Amino acid sequence: MTEPAPLRPGTDRDSAAWWELVRRHRLAVQRCTGCALLRFPAREYCPACRSRSWEWRDCAGTGRVAGWTVTHRAFHPAFAGQVPYTVLCVALDDGPGLRCWGRLVGAGPDALAADLPVEAVFTDAEPSLTLVDWRPAAPPH
Amino acid sequence: MGGTLRDAAAVAGVGYTPFSKDSGVSTTTLACEAILAALDDAGLGPEDIDGIATHRVGDSSPPWAVAPALGIEDQGWYLDQFGGGSVSHAVLGQAAMAVAAGVAETVVCYRAINARSEFRMGGQGRPPAGAFDLQYQAPYGLIAPVQHYALLARAHMLAYGTSHEHLGAVAVGQREKAAGNPRALKRDPITMRDYLASRWIAEPFRLLDCCLETDGACALVLTSAERARDLRRPPVNITAAAWGGGHSSYSGAGPGGIGADPTTSAAARLAPRLYAMAGLGPADVDVAELYDCFTWTVLVQLEDYGFCAKGEGGPYAASGALRIGGELPVNTHGGFLSEGYVHGINHVAEAVQQLRGEAGGRQVPGAEVALSTAQPGYVLAGTSALLLTAPR
Ligand SMILES: [Zn+2]
Repeated sequence: MTEPAPLRPGTDRDSAAWWELVRRHRLAVQRCTGCALLRFPAREYCPACRSRSWEWRDCAGTGRVAGWTVTHRAFHPAFAGQVPYTVLCVALDDGPGLRCWGRLVGAGPDALAADLPVEAVFTDAEPSLTLVDWRPAAPPH
Repeated sequence: MGGTLRDAAAVAGVGYTPFSKDSGVSTTTLACEAILAALDDAGLGPEDIDGIATHRVGDSSPPWAVAPALGIEDQGWYLDQFGGGSVSHAVLGQAAMAVAAGVAETVVCYRAINARSEFRMGGQGRPPAGAFDLQYQAPYGLIAPVQHYALLARAHMLAYGTSHEHLGAVAVGQREKAAGNPRALKRDPITMRDYLASRWIAEPFRLLDCCLETDGACALVLTSAERARDLRRPPVNITAAAWGGGHSSYSGAGPGGIGADPTTSAAARLAPRLYAMAGLGPADVDVAELYDCFTWTVLVQLEDYGFCAKGEGGPYAASGALRIGGELPVNTHGGFLSEGYVHGINHVAEAVQQLRGEAGGRQVPGAEVALSTAQPGYVLAGTSALLLTAPR
């Protein structure tokens, strides 16, 4: 039996370039060149100063666990063989208010706690689709 | 504050279809049945309608199908609002505005869904249309509302120590109240042990944290407060209506503000406007029907509408305060968790019956002020709410 195809992101004109960076294993957010605010998800206007001038800023690739859910029921056939699985909400270390999502890898949900440090892992799901997952960060030496 | 909207319009009639898991009929039929029941309650007929309003997410029958089905050639003012639970009360508020502005005299508001037998909200990962955040979530299997709210509930647990038992107190307490509601789909009592034994859907939510996917419809007739006094039933005034509060999902985080904290909902911004329009405060509310797609939304709204301090929603619910006879009876009909899920309007209908004093075994004695609320702003932006007052 073949695995059902993963759900595609359904990119838009604001986000397509971000997904292309992920495909090249770069995790980035936008940096406003007017007021330096970092923002994610991708959008054209800065919500603070309304500038349309911005650049990509590579992230540290680290963050803190802000929430998680362990899903026991497949809500789409693509995930039928994967339950239970854990999705994290991660607060990026790069700045306040930057949150993204991804699977927990390299550990089970019992390892999770508030503000647990995690690091990004790029998962090549298909040749044209890379996803950003998260694993508990290695303890500092 | 309040301008001409405050107390300008009143609810003159309430109507329901039975609630079920399979209505066997179309949403147009459900809408017609609920509307005719509401008109009958008000002592009016379809010929009296000059306004019709609903909301939907591609899952229901629109005004331009329902009005002709009732033989209404010119439906007058109409509203076919896009959106789910977060706009449920905005529909009523806008109908009240149409009445206050003299654009329409008698507006019927309805919501009709076959949410179990046809269009299941989380079914097959069907996304809310226009939810642009979803592209960052769906590939990871984060697709259904229960998962989004589970993440929010977890964040609240981490920040404030909210416990599984706090969530369970909402589920158990609402089932207790549903026992007094003949319309409720679930009336058999449940215990905390039953709650804790129910199966996981998306942790921290169990089956009993989730609302009942329901087939059914509900309708309300609005007219001017003045005209309502001459109709069949005692009028319940729409004393205040408010909209908005901003985006409060995880990715809505702008440069600080409420959007940056997922444990606070859009209701925190909306509540002061709502209370100011009415000239009332949380202490004046005798009964509250709080949007309960999942147990946790009740807890966050108890905080954000000012009934307890931030983070205290869980202990407040567990204290027994939400019972009939408690400090703040909440979801007296059993809510979406036990009565059924008509996406918000059945909360307003219950508030009206409480203020008319006709809620029977679940009546809050002497209830004069009711708060009824929409989905508190997660998933899609903003929320909406009403303050209603009893006939004088
Ligand atoms: Zn800027």
